[in-house]
Amino acid sequence: MKVKFFAFIVSIIIVASETFAGGFQLNEHGARAMAMGGAFTAISNDPSAIYFNGAGLTQLSGIHLMLGTTMIAPTFSFRGVSPDITEYDAAKQTFFPTHFFATYRYDKDLAFGLGFFSPFGLASKWDPNWVGKYLAIETKLQTFVITPEVAYNLMDNLTVSAGLEYSFATVTISQKTPFPVFAGDAFTTLTGKDNSAWGFNLGALYKPVDDLSIGVSFHSQVKYNFTGTATTTGPVQLASQLPNGGATADLTTPINLAVGVAYRFIPDLLVSFDFQYVGWSSYDSLTVDFSSPKSVKSSPRLYDNSYILRLGAQYTLLQDLQVRAGIYYDKDPVKPEYLNPSLPDANRLGFSVGVGYKITNNINLDAAYLFIRGSQLTVTDSQENYAQGISPFNGTYNTAANLVSLTLSYGL
Amino acid sequence: MKKIMSLIFTVFLTVVVFWGCQDKTNLTAPVLNPKSGNADLTRFVAIGNSLTAGWQNGALYASSQNYSFGNQIAKQVGTTFEQPLVSDPGTGGRMEIKTLDIAKGEIDIYYDPKTGSPENSTYAKPYNNLGIPGALLYDVLYATSSTTCASALFSSSHTPNPMFDLILRGQGSQFAQAKALHPTFVTLWIGNNDVLGFATSGGFSPSAPTPVSGGLYNFQSAFTQLADSIASLGAKVVVANIPDVDAIPYFTTVGPVVAMETPWGALKLLGAPGIIYQKHGEIVGSGVADSLSLLTGQLLMTLPAINYATLIGKPTGQYYRDNNYPALPPGIDTTKPFGLHPQNPWPDALILDASEIATTENTIASYNSIISSLANAKGFGLVDINGFFNSIRQKDFTGGVYFNGVNFSTAYITGGIFGLDGIHPTNQGQAIEANEFIKVINSKFGANIPLINVATIPGSLILAKKAFLKEKLMPHFEPGSFKHLLY
Repeated sequence: MKVKFFAFIVSIIIVASETFAGGFQLNEHGARAMAMGGAFTAISNDPSAIYFNGAGLTQLSGIHLMLGTTMIAPTFSFRGVSPDITEYDAAKQTFFPTHFFATYRYDKDLAFGLGFFSPFGLASKWDPNWVGKYLAIETKLQTFVITPEVAYNLMDNLTVSAGLEYSFATVTISQKTPFPVFAGDAFTTLTGKDNSAWGFNLGALYKPVDDLSIGVSFHSQVKYNFTGTATTTGPVQLASQLPNGGATADLTTPINLAVGVAYRFIPDLLVSFDFQYVGWSSYDSLTVDFSSPKSVKSSPRLYDNSYILRLGAQYTLLQDLQVRAGIYYDKDPVKPEYLNPSLPDANRLGFSVGVGYKITNNINLDAAYLFIRGSQLTVTDSQENYAQGISPFNGTYNTAANLVSLTLSYGL
Repeated sequence: MKKIMSLIFTVFLTVVVFWGCQDKTNLTAPVLNPKSGNADLTRFVAIGNSLTAGWQNGALYASSQNYSFGNQIAKQVGTTFEQPLVSDPGTGGRMEIKTLDIAKGEIDIYYDPKTGSPENSTYAKPYNNLGIPGALLYDVLYATSSTTCASALFSSSHTPNPMFDLILRGQGSQFAQAKALHPTFVTLWIGNNDVLGFATSGGFSPSAPTPVSGGLYNFQSAFTQLADSIASLGAKVVVANIPDVDAIPYFTTVGPVVAMETPWGALKLLGAPGIIYQKHGEIVGSGVADSLSLLTGQLLMTLPAINYATLIGKPTGQYYRDNNYPALPPGIDTTKPFGLHPQNPWPDALILDASEIATTENTIASYNSIISSLANAKGFGLVDINGFFNSIRQKDFTGGVYFNGVNFSTAYITGGIFGLDGIHPTNQGQAIEANEFIKVINSKFGANIPLINVATIPGSLILAKKAFLKEKLMPHFEPGSFKHLLY
């Protein structure tokens, strides 16, 4: 006689709860634009126009090369779980997304460009034993885009552009998962990549009068299908329940539509304003499919569409020296109840300053500093549970970041 | 125009100075107050047995003691609660899960022979947690050491209980030490062992619970005396009653398994009317267990009985060897099929028959009536743990209950409330109990102590770290796994 002791089903589904937040969009692809608070759609007078507004390319005669990097050093902290106010700080990490642009003007009405940049990315890393370990430990996303661009003058004062965006990306998510009745937990790492995702961009630049320019720039969604592996370590007794093997997940990055106006008040002073619409509602859930054991985990993200308001100014101090400043407001797309420590987000204010210096007739160096301050965000009705069952991850998030960008341009 | 530029820069710099640091306002930490309403837990003492001590999975160890219901209450109000911590794996014999075959639903339990060491033995004052595993009602007032506790004095084996030395440390009885702390608040949960020792041994050893009344020593007079003593402390008091045995997995797990797995039709063909067991006090068995009586709880098999369920029908004396019988009891013939023949019957110690269940239930009902009326008379709050567990048990077959979104039932292992010994609560089970105490404190004394979020309490069934081969998948407890049980 065979005795079955009890009917027993352990359901250990790794809650791959959340990966990305609004903060994972990177708009810093050139020190000049960054110094002006990113209000560059209606200016786009350097090779980074390939990102900001391809229609600006016909302003650049001959051949231009531009290479730069942006050092990004964010800080995240969480105080909670309410009513507790213990502070947890994410590990300090620094990232160096690189941008490279090359342009060539065939004739005064036709220009080509090739760009490389990282439109989305960033990462967070928390202590493996912190209070939110079942929500996020390490999260890292990197996307890269290579885009050929073409710009054409439809009229003397109207240029349009189009570009194809080829993208590749990698993602890493790790977190722990509690067991229903057993002591201990499992540690799961998901890694995935997508080597070919496609999107496009469109741009237009219109100059009704000499000192006024109006720009429009559009970036399409890019749908990534990440494939990779899940690796889980945990008690040997539960090995058969732990996801190990293939995993797939989808991510669609939002559309971006920017409209900008730039006006030259006096010959030396250029002021620019941008409104950038970000279609974050593309990101309504994160779903991870595991192949072994077969399981699906879906968690709602329900991002809201969002916008960024940007204001920038450039003043030509000396013939070869320009000083710049900017400010922007970036509306948080994440509903507070779904905010997750994988990448804390908040309404953000950015303050930037920078200089551009013409070293020789051919070489230009731009430098920029940007400070981003996320407003303090206290979550009181979190839908994110930090343990099994109903355990809302309520608390107070603080975010800030320092960015320094250097860009070197070479023109023929 | 330079003016405009400098104006812009001035505005910009002002803004940067004003905003240009991380926005981080101070938050106010919650003020924990041991005083709430008329309840004052400034000097809080918990008196009781293993259920108060934080005993779990067959041992007393720090990682469970930290979740004793008293310590969990103390954390909710921010009061001191010193405990006789013993580092993991504790006092020895901790039950751990050796292998688990989830597809087959089978488990192998191992007991860890290693012990930890006392971590808090130099604490000068008496402990706030004065729960002593194995303590009986008698012991609270009178036992001062391992050799003066009831089990050493009055049981047939005169077994000393070293837990008394570990916790009392020669500073007097549980009551005397509680008194020395001048408590402002006391929880009392005692008397379980006065009936559980009888019940867990299948009504075998001891052969009767502490009598309700009459005789030289009885529950009525002893609890009255204890209640008078506790009342004399002048503290606010909450007392808990005794849970029924038919709501704990030690008694509810094995009977239904045997009922489902026994080939009853084949037994009939062999001429056996069912499983033959020893009724209370019998040697040659005359009891007959059938599928219905085991499924419905008219007969209750104890958890250790699972080791013998697979031996039914075999000519074996395994039970007598496991229990170190020097010789077979006269009348027993182990060449007969085990559990199917009156001369090799299912042992009394592994089953509670109808009369033993009645004895247990009547005794618990009487105890609880005594506890309830004394609590009433003395103005103590009463935690009806018995009613609480029974209400959970009633929902076992309709999906269980939810606390903070986590599903629980009284089922063994999967239920989440009871640990591997089938009697003592898990960390989460202790949190659930603590909340029942808090509810009574709040209602009885007009307090406002927040309930514990059970979802945030980690699971506590231990998966043995040692890597075991899965060669033995039969349900099995190592011999001796249950020898260390104290309540």
